[in-house]
Amino acid sequence: MIQVTALNKVYTVPKRGEGLWGSIRSLFSREVEEVRAVADLSFSIQAGERVGFLGPNGAGKTTTLKMLAGLLVPSSGERVVAGFDPSKRDPAFLRRITLVMGQKQQLLWDLPPIETFALNRALFGLDEAEARRTQDELIELLELGPLLNRPVRNLSLGERMKCELAAALLHRPDVLFLDEPTIGLDVRAQGTVRRFIAEWNERSGATVLLTSHYMADIAALCPRVIVIAGGALRYDGPLKDLAERYGGGRKVVVRTRDEAPETLGPFTREDGALVARLPSAEVAAAVDFALRQVAVADLSIEEPPLEDVLSKLFAERS
Amino acid sequence: MSLGVSIAALMRASLLTTMRYRASFFGEVAMAVAWAFWTTVPLFVVFDQAPTLAGWTTEEALAVVGFFIIAQGVLEALVDPNLRAVVEHVRQGTFDFVLLKPIDAQLYVSLHRTEPLKLVHCVVGAGVVAYAAKAVDAGPVELLSATLLMFAGLTLLHSLWTVVVSSAFFFVKVDNLSWLIRAGLDAGRWPVSLYRGFVRFVLTFVLPIGLVTTYPALALRGELKPSTGLGAMVIAVLFAGVARIAWTQSLRRYSSASS
Repeated sequence: MIQVTALNKVYTVPKRGEGLWGSIRSLFSREVEEVRAVADLSFSIQAGERVGFLGPNGAGKTTTLKMLAGLLVPSSGERVVAGFDPSKRDPAFLRRITLVMGQKQQLLWDLPPIETFALNRALFGLDEAEARRTQDELIELLELGPLLNRPVRNLSLGERMKCELAAALLHRPDVLFLDEPTIGLDVRAQGTVRRFIAEWNERSGATVLLTSHYMADIAALCPRVIVIAGGALRYDGPLKDLAERYGGGRKVVVRTRDEAPETLGPFTREDGALVARLPSAEVAAAVDFALRQVAVADLSIEEPPLEDVLSKLFAERS
Repeated sequence: MSLGVSIAALMRASLLTTMRYRASFFGEVAMAVAWAFWTTVPLFVVFDQAPTLAGWTTEEALAVVGFFIIAQGVLEALVDPNLRAVVEHVRQGTFDFVLLKPIDAQLYVSLHRTEPLKLVHCVVGAGVVAYAAKAVDAGPVELLSATLLMFAGLTLLHSLWTVVVSSAFFFVKVDNLSWLIRAGLDAGRWPVSLYRGFVRFVLTFVLPIGLVTTYPALALRGELKPSTGLGAMVIAVLFAGVARIAWTQSLRRYSSASS
């Protein structure tokens, strides 16, 4: 459904001098700087997949999404989305995709959300009866009933986001680009948006490419993740393997009845408990070993927090 | 068909937005009439001193003012609010949503934020033109050619506007340029033949405001050579073409405000 090959995006950014004098000088001689936002990025996504697109701020996630949605022209490289070249902005292509941005909104500010829905139905040239059915379905799933007739400016951030999603999905796109759809939302609203995305993916079979800085979003929604940093690909694969490869394995913590020894097999003492970080395959043997050697009071096996795994991955230099 | 539906939906959203602010229809009508009156005052002051001015009588000059009022109505209703909205879209990056709609983006930004009530100015302007047309005894041929030329002029105005909007993708803040168009149009309240030298050259060829106001008035007098009329139309089409190129080129340059 999405095929990206050796994608590059280089921005030229004017370099501005410091202070007043620098600003005056840059009025006359403009020095430009080249910033490589995306570097040789390649990946492909099958129809119906839910993929998390991760990376630190400025990694090139939004730039990539915008190139896939046809908003930005890449400096070089190929991309095919739903069988189209996004740059051409073919209306048939635009009817098959959608882009939701947590930081920007398309809802008409002074009017109730229902008016944005009406406008989008017309602009997308949707069949009235079918579009109404989709709209009712979205209203029900997102519980928009009470919000429909209130001006957008009077809605809370979470309420607005739910309406944004509905407005962006009325044309039943096959590909959903979601750029931080839960940003700034409270825990409950985040949960609602998350459940909705999962449900919609199940119902419509749409492909979802999602960026988020909330690992809970990724853990709940994305079996597969693509990690980029500095515009380049760092990891592409199942989420569960990410922790395995970069998290330093699982953390096994054994609390003993008596004082724990300094070291024991793979374990070392940390804060009075025996701790070992091991690949999944070795965990069972280590636990078995500990149970035989010491009197165990408590035992826990922890997955490394996703945040830690990622910050390790982001920090790594390619 | 679906284009008509899209345009109707955009107009509807604009009208609803206007009504949200309880803009009073009657207030707008009163303003338009008062504005038309004030626009004609200088004319009467000048013609009080001389019966004709560079070959124009009061009624003929009134036709120029009528077309000027119509053009200004179009500017206030369609051009200006949309320009401000596009600049805001580009600055905040919400222009992305415009590009995500399966409709021609130029058409969309030309219509997405209009102030339909301001079209009352056009009705008043048409009234002034009608009065002048009666005074100069314009026949159906004159009326038709004047109307055609007026639309050529409005096409030109829209093209100028499109070029300004296109430059927004390079310079971001271009609201001020709309004042330039406005000031240029303001010069159009007088027949172009009143101006001399450089100004006349600019008003005829660079910012052809004369095409918006003077040429339709000339057509109304039956004094426009068919070749000139045809030339004016060609210029309007040419400008529209240039505007279209400027627009598509700047879309390619659009870099979107980063997240």
